[in-house]
Amino acid sequence: MTKSCTDYRVTRRAMLGATGAAGATLLGMPVQQLLAYAGTAGAQKAEHVILFWNGGGMTHLDTWDPKPGRPTQGEFEPIDTSAPGVQISEIFPQLAKQMHHCSLIRSIAGTQGAHGPATYNLQTSYVDAGILVHPGIGSVVAHQLERKGDLPSYISISGRARRATYLGQKCEAYYVPAPGQQDPYLSFPEGIAKVRGDRRLEVLARYNSRFAKGKGGAQLKNTQTAIDEAIGLMRSPALKAFDLDTVPTTTLNRYGDTTFGRGAILAKRLVETGVRFVQINRGGFDTHGNNFPALRAHGEVMDPALASLIEDLAETGMLKKTLVLMLSEFGRTPRVNMNAGRDHWASCFSCFMAGGGIKGGTVVGSSDKDGYQPNDRPVAVPDIHATLCNAMGIDPDTEVLTPLQRPMKLVDNGKPVGELLA
Amino acid sequence: MPKWSLFYRCGLLALLSLVVSAPANATGLDDVLNQENSELGVGLKPAPIANDLVFLRRLSIDLIGRIPTEDEIQEYLALPKTTRRTQVVEKLLASDRFSDRWTTFFADMLRLRSNAEGGSTLIAFVHKAVEEGMPYDELCRRLISAGGKSGAVPEVGFILSDNADPLALAGITSQVFLGVRMACAECHDHPFDKWTREEFYGLAAYFGKTRRVQRRFQNRILATYTTEVDQTTVLWPPPGVGEASDRKPIAPTFPIALIKDDGKQPYLKRFAKVRASRDDLLAKVTKGKKPSGESSLDDLLSSADKRVKRRTAGDIDSGLGVLDEAKRDVEKIDVKAAGYRPSDLRQELARQVTSPRNRYFSRAFVNRVWKELVGVGFVEPIDDFSSENDFNHPQTLDYLADEFVAEGFDLRGLIRQIVGSEAYQREHAGDVDEATRLEMENAFIATPMRRMISETLYDSIVVAGHMAAVKHEAGKNMKIAWRATRVIKQPDATTPKVKPSELVKSGQPTKKMKKPVVVASSPYDLEKAIELDFDKLLKGSDSAIEVEKMMAKSAEEIEAERMLAQERRLQADYFDRYVRAEYDDNPSFNSSYRMASPAAPEHFLRVFGQPGRTELGDFRDTSASMRQQLMILNGRLTHEASRVGELEPLHRLLVGKNADLQAAIQLAYREVLTRNPSKTDLSDATEIINSADDRLAGMADLRWVLLNSNEFRFLP
Repeated sequence: MTKSCTDYRVTRRAMLGATGAAGATLLGMPVQQLLAYAGTAGAQKAEHVILFWNGGGMTHLDTWDPKPGRPTQGEFEPIDTSAPGVQISEIFPQLAKQMHHCSLIRSIAGTQGAHGPATYNLQTSYVDAGILVHPGIGSVVAHQLERKGDLPSYISISGRARRATYLGQKCEAYYVPAPGQQDPYLSFPEGIAKVRGDRRLEVLARYNSRFAKGKGGAQLKNTQTAIDEAIGLMRSPALKAFDLDTVPTTTLNRYGDTTFGRGAILAKRLVETGVRFVQINRGGFDTHGNNFPALRAHGEVMDPALASLIEDLAETGMLKKTLVLMLSEFGRTPRVNMNAGRDHWASCFSCFMAGGGIKGGTVVGSSDKDGYQPNDRPVAVPDIHATLCNAMGIDPDTEVLTPLQRPMKLVDNGKPVGELLA
Repeated sequence: MPKWSLFYRCGLLALLSLVVSAPANATGLDDVLNQENSELGVGLKPAPIANDLVFLRRLSIDLIGRIPTEDEIQEYLALPKTTRRTQVVEKLLASDRFSDRWTTFFADMLRLRSNAEGGSTLIAFVHKAVEEGMPYDELCRRLISAGGKSGAVPEVGFILSDNADPLALAGITSQVFLGVRMACAECHDHPFDKWTREEFYGLAAYFGKTRRVQRRFQNRILATYTTEVDQTTVLWPPPGVGEASDRKPIAPTFPIALIKDDGKQPYLKRFAKVRASRDDLLAKVTKGKKPSGESSLDDLLSSADKRVKRRTAGDIDSGLGVLDEAKRDVEKIDVKAAGYRPSDLRQELARQVTSPRNRYFSRAFVNRVWKELVGVGFVEPIDDFSSENDFNHPQTLDYLADEFVAEGFDLRGLIRQIVGSEAYQREHAGDVDEATRLEMENAFIATPMRRMISETLYDSIVVAGHMAAVKHEAGKNMKIAWRATRVIKQPDATTPKVKPSELVKSGQPTKKMKKPVVVASSPYDLEKAIELDFDKLLKGSDSAIEVEKMMAKSAEEIEAERMLAQERRLQADYFDRYVRAEYDDNPSFNSSYRMASPAAPEHFLRVFGQPGRTELGDFRDTSASMRQQLMILNGRLTHEASRVGELEPLHRLLVGKNADLQAAIQLAYREVLTRNPSKTDLSDATEIINSADDRLAGMADLRWVLLNSNEFRFLP
């Protein structure tokens, strides 16, 4: 058996344990920590996540953190919402009516101001530091929670998700290039009718079981399990969730007949079948020029979809079990540049959360009067991921081993934002 | 180094290695292993030696990365029974595909990525090195010590790809070349092994004076190269320990003691002899052809840079003219000045690492190759030689390692020894309990179950299904496709000449054309990829200014351009139109060993375990997953491979006056599984074929089952 860094860690812990009860460990976790988790176990936990990923860096000032009357305000006015005292930008009129379900963090103190590193940071909680590549938070959830239903645990829509890296192939996102598009690998190849395909599968099972006779090892068995899972998925009624042709026109119109709207509808249907983590990707937020018309157009797309999603989830009770989250790479400069745009701004920005395990109508932290820096309660980027984990009953400090047997926490030392937790 | 020198020498070395390699003879290896097993008290009866066809299939998979063809099977069976195994080993070792297959082995080991800085050229370089038999120690020396410009000096991609970061490179050097996970010591003294943090920093110090420099012109990368400076970045004590003012440059120190050459190691003598004769020949050939490198590449580039700046200053347009001139300037430098400033420190390190007296170096590599071929390593994980990690059969490992050195670090020689051994040629353990099976496999007296690696699986499906070239007659697979094009309405233009039914709203085909087949590559096309032209990549390396390829636009700029284009589209009045196109869908597939690698994340190859090659210690994953099954059950690759084409030999055994169903089934079994069908197989297969609509469809069903079966993807 190889001794590695892990053993080193255990040894050190054991040594600390010998020096006093405070360092005692159980199941590799300090006792206090275990107690802390036991304390929150009674609360309703989220079982699913819908993450809207806004590529390019969405302006915080023109969305979640308006600055009325300030020179940095820009072209939009704030509007009142269903959450008393909470105002958001006028580009979200329908969402404003759902804000009693939703919460905002307005004091995220980011550290990464370039697209690549910021995307890495916001999607993994870690800072990109070379050779070790960290998994995305969706893979973390897929790793920690049991699969529910027939569909894969983690599904990424309209763009690729971050890789699962050391969490393994099973935690990779299942990829849907665009909502409504059908995965050709889920049905028999063109020209192979169901009867013929089923007969092929039946013969294959016979051949494989004959081959397995007198052969040991887990590999053959695992292959058979994988085949059974694949066939199970191909035949699963849950696949209907991907087919948006049956969505009533009225629903389509409520969400806005856009890729984003259809993505939100798909996400809702997927979590209803049990999918743990759905990520919906969308770009176009890197508004170095013409920030305001671009954001107005984004609002027109996002507002009906987001508002309808929250409303529908709340109506069926799914919202209690589903954490809806909108993240971007960073915020944008409060000062409007000469191209009527805003540039990258990581020192202070906002994010949107609603639903499972999260208190509605809450605003955590604030930025200074012009939106340059956190004014109070600065929230570190990993705190967002820790909050997500906490809402799902996952301990963000759980360690997993990298290929080099180096223990890594699920989240890079994040502390859950307690004010948000229901 | 100029091209002639590099490749002339490689070619010559290939020639030399053929001359001096010892003939295949593995009895020595078997003797050592048997001796060691009896010392270890292994009392189990070894599994029998596998039959000739099993050996051929296993060997083809391992050496050339695909199963044998019917022609190859017949050619092999026609050889004399007593010599056919050694003969086919030689044939496969000399095959082009051997180089492809084992380039992938190196690409995994060295984490070579097509999309990294100079990555494709580096892969092409390694391919050439394998092809021409460059000794392993020389390959490593070049990788560790190379300096110069990306592309022009292909091997410098190794240093550049990790940003020339000394600590990262120290971790890579120790783990990849020496099989020692010293990177742990970056943060703390190694807990159970002897490596200290200071030793790790001492190793890193060899890389401390190397810098990665990138010269850009208007967001385009003109050149990325290494340069050597006087100041080292590696200081001791490390951050967090002691006062910052106490931090001083640390002397480069190689942490591993080399064994003494006191005449007691015959393998060192043999090595010296092999090398001396090679060097003699080399000296004769290269006499008077020394490259002339004077000023450093750095100096030359910076003067070119100054000229560019002067020109730009007076140039308002700053258009392509200046860029072209800049390109020409840098190109000129590449042609005449390969003389970059060499790194004395890294050359010294390379000498130490690759020394025949460094047992870590030869052991680490031999262990990797053994694991690749036999399935169980002497040490596992394969890059973790530590005092806490018990070696399995250390004497056998050392025997092979010494042989490897004695034969001049010749990869083919090493493989020849291993595949010639009984340890390689045995059957699986058979019907025994799990503990016994493991014991037999660990004692190397039974072959463990191994799944083909992803590229081999892909290429084997291609070859079993006759898809390397088209197999259907022209016009037999005509398909109609509706290709979507977005057309901008011109204000003055007349109504476009398409039927109203073809005028559809964006992305919404009308009912009539539900699910149009779009020919253009779809995001789901996960079974094909870009092919790399290794020769072209290396030819380009003299003037390898890859400006066009390496458009170094920042992500912001790309995003801004995208936004701009989007805006234009939003302003324009456009409509989507579907254009009817008829095309001959007669598939053929390239070898996956020539694809840009690693493939896209959802690609067939990645799903079946091709590593991303970013992390150290990220090995091939051969475990099963649901996604794999979906891709192979329903994918185009297996589907097309199953279909019987008129141009393949199987066809005339199924239809026409010479049809012979039994012969057809036998051929199908040989082509897919490299064996003849048993009686049960025959009756099963006959039933499958007879219960289908026709024989061709039935044969497609049978082949589909065989290609999907575990017997196909697991090595015999």
